[in-house]
Amino acid sequence: MNEREALFRRLAAASGGHAAGPGEPLPGGAPAAPAGDSVARFADAFTAAGGVLLRGPVEAALSDLGEMLRAEGVTALFFPEDDAEARETVESLVPFGPFLLTTAAAVREGSAAVTAGFRTAEAGIAETGTIVETSAGGKTLLPGLLADVHVSIVPVSSVVDRMEEALSALAADAPRNISFLTGPSKTADIEQTLTVGAHGPKKAIVLLLA
Amino acid sequence: MELDANAFARNSRKALSDKALQEALGRTTGRFMLHRAAAVAAFPGFEEARERASAIKMDVLAHLDAYLGRFVEEAEKRGVVVHVARNAAQAREIAARIARDEGVTLAVKSKSMAAEEISFNEALEGAGVTVVESDLGEFIIQLAGEAPSHIIAPAVHKTREEVSLLFERHLGEPRTDSIPELVGMARRHLRAKFLSAGMGVSGANFLVADTGSLVLVTNEGNGRMGAVLPRVHLAVVGIEKVIPRMADLPTFLRLLPRSASGQAISSYVSIVTGTKRAGDPEGPERMHILLLDCGRSAILEGKYREILKCIRCGACLNACPVYQSVGGHAYGWVYSGPIGAVLTPLLVGLPGAAPLPDASTLCGACAEVCPVKIPLPDFLLELRSDARDQGLKTPGEIAGMKGYAGVMKRAGLLEAIERIAGVLGQFFTKGKAIGGMPYPFSGWTERRDFPVPAAQPFRKQWKIRRGVTR
Repeated sequence: MNEREALFRRLAAASGGHAAGPGEPLPGGAPAAPAGDSVARFADAFTAAGGVLLRGPVEAALSDLGEMLRAEGVTALFFPEDDAEARETVESLVPFGPFLLTTAAAVREGSAAVTAGFRTAEAGIAETGTIVETSAGGKTLLPGLLADVHVSIVPVSSVVDRMEEALSALAADAPRNISFLTGPSKTADIEQTLTVGAHGPKKAIVLLLA
Repeated sequence: MELDANAFARNSRKALSDKALQEALGRTTGRFMLHRAAAVAAFPGFEEARERASAIKMDVLAHLDAYLGRFVEEAEKRGVVVHVARNAAQAREIAARIARDEGVTLAVKSKSMAAEEISFNEALEGAGVTVVESDLGEFIIQLAGEAPSHIIAPAVHKTREEVSLLFERHLGEPRTDSIPELVGMARRHLRAKFLSAGMGVSGANFLVADTGSLVLVTNEGNGRMGAVLPRVHLAVVGIEKVIPRMADLPTFLRLLPRSASGQAISSYVSIVTGTKRAGDPEGPERMHILLLDCGRSAILEGKYREILKCIRCGACLNACPVYQSVGGHAYGWVYSGPIGAVLTPLLVGLPGAAPLPDASTLCGACAEVCPVKIPLPDFLLELRSDARDQGLKTPGEIAGMKGYAGVMKRAGLLEAIERIAGVLGQFFTKGKAIGGMPYPFSGWTERRDFPVPAAQPFRKQWKIRRGVTR
C-alpha cells in the first residue's frame, strides 16, 4: 500500500467512512448586493484600496495618464500583442511621453527601464474594487505582474457586483491563471509601515471605459 | 523547525525583558486589532460569512477523504503531480527528490507555515538547492538567520536600522533609514531571483476540490510570481486546506483578509489550476503539490477535529493577551498564540509542548475573533486535562487544583478565606498585584502576578448593590 492509499484509508476511518462524495452546496452564500450603481461602487472600492481610477473615453484620459506615468519615472510601455484595446491606448499615449515601446518578453528578461504594463481586464468586481485578469485564451499576465505601473483597461460592461459572479463565469473551465488584483503591491513588513511596490506594481491605474 | 515549546517559561522571560520586542508587539497587535475591528464593522455580512465558513469546513472535515480525493483527481487531470507525506521526514525526502529530479539549483519561496513545519529549507539546502525567501518579512529574517515571530508579520521584531544593516552586509546596499528605499532594494534583489529561479515554492491558502485549483493570497505579489514565472511550481500544503467548490471561495475571501490585516481583500488573490496549457505565455511546465498529513489525520479522528478549520489568519494571536506580551518565538515552534497553544501539542504530542495550553488566561478573546469559530478556550482547557491524564502535571499543581476545587465548592469556607485575604491583602501588598508568594504557592506566582484580594469580596459587593444586605 503506498502513502496515498494509506492516507485515504486513515481519512476514511477518521471521518466515519463516508465515501459518498461531496454533499450538496450549502444554501445561500453571497451577501445581497447593495443598492446603487455597481460601477460607482467598483470605483470607490478600487480607490479605497490605493488604486487610481481614470474615466474614459481614452482621448480624455491620455493627458492625465501621461502625466501620472512621467511622475512615476516610467520610460517604457508594453502591452499584450493580441490586446487591441491596450495597443490603441499605448499608441495614442506615446506623444504624451517621452515613452519607448517595449515587449512583455523583454520585460521578462529583466528590463532596466521603469515600465508601465497595459492590459484589458476580464472583469471588475464592485464588492472589493478588484480587477480580474486571467490567462484564458493565452493572454499574458505580465503587465499586471512585472510592470512598475499597471494600467488596467476595464470596460464598464464587465463590472459585476460580487466575487461569485466573476468566478462562476470562470469556474466551469478554469484557465491556468486567475488573478484578482486590488490596488498596488503592498507590504508593512518593516515597522508596520505601509509601503507600495513590494514585488508587483507600485501604482495600479484603472482606465474605465464606457 | 526545531521544537522548543517546553522552554516556554524561559523563552517568555527572555521576550518580556526584550524592550524592542515589547514595543514592536504592542504596536503591531494593537494596530492589527484596530484594523480588523474597523473592517468587520464595515462589513455587515461578516457574522453570516463566519457561520457559513465554519459549516463548510465542518462538512469538509466530515468527508475529508471524499473532498481531498476529488481535489487530487481534478488536479492530476490538469497535469499536477500530487505527493503525499505521512510525516516531516518523508516530506523532506520527497521535496528534495522533486528538486533533484527537476534539476533545480535555485528556488524562490513565498511564505508557508506548512513548509516551516517540515523544515523545508534545510531539506532543499541539503540537496544542494539555494532557497530564497521572497516575502519581505521572511527575507529579512532569513538574512538574519532567525525564525518568524508572527504568522502574517514575521519580522515584526526588526527595526529599520537592523534591516538596513542586514541589507548592507548581505546585499551590499548602502545604509538608509528610508523604508521605501529598503523595500526597493529587496524588490530589485528578489526580482532577479524570480526571473532566474528554476522553481517557485509556495503553500496554499485554499485547495479547491471541484476544479483542482490552488489559491494564494498575498499583498506583496510574491506568491503569484513564484507560481507563474519559474519552470516548476511546488506547493507544500496541509490536507485540511481543501474547500469543496470554487463557489465557496468568496466566503473565505471575505473573512481571511479582514481577520488578518483588516483589508476588505488582499492586493492579490491568485487561483492557479494545473500546469501551463498550450498557448499560455506563462505558467509552470511542471507543478507538484506535496500534501502533508504530519499528524492531521490523527487530529481528525479525535475530539479536537475543529482545530483543522483554521485558515491561518492570525487574528487570535493579535487578540491574545499572552501573545501580546511574549510574542511568537516564546511558543517554541511554527505556530504561536492560541492556535499554536492548541495545534502544536496536537501535531507534536503534548509531552513536547506541555506548557503551551497553560499559556492562556482563558479570556475568550481568541474565540471571539476566530473567523471560523474554533472553540479555542474549550480546547485549551481540554488539553490541560489531557496533560493531567498523561501525567504531565506536577503533584503540587494537582494538589493545588484539588484544594482550589474544594474551596470553591464550599461557600462558607470561600467567604471566610476571602475575608481574611481581603484584610491581609491590604496590609501586606502595595499596588495591584502580588508577584511572589511562599512555597507551595510560588509555583503559581513565579510566572503569574496574583491580583490583590479586594477589601470586600465580589459576592458581598453584589449583594449590597442589589440591596440584599449591607
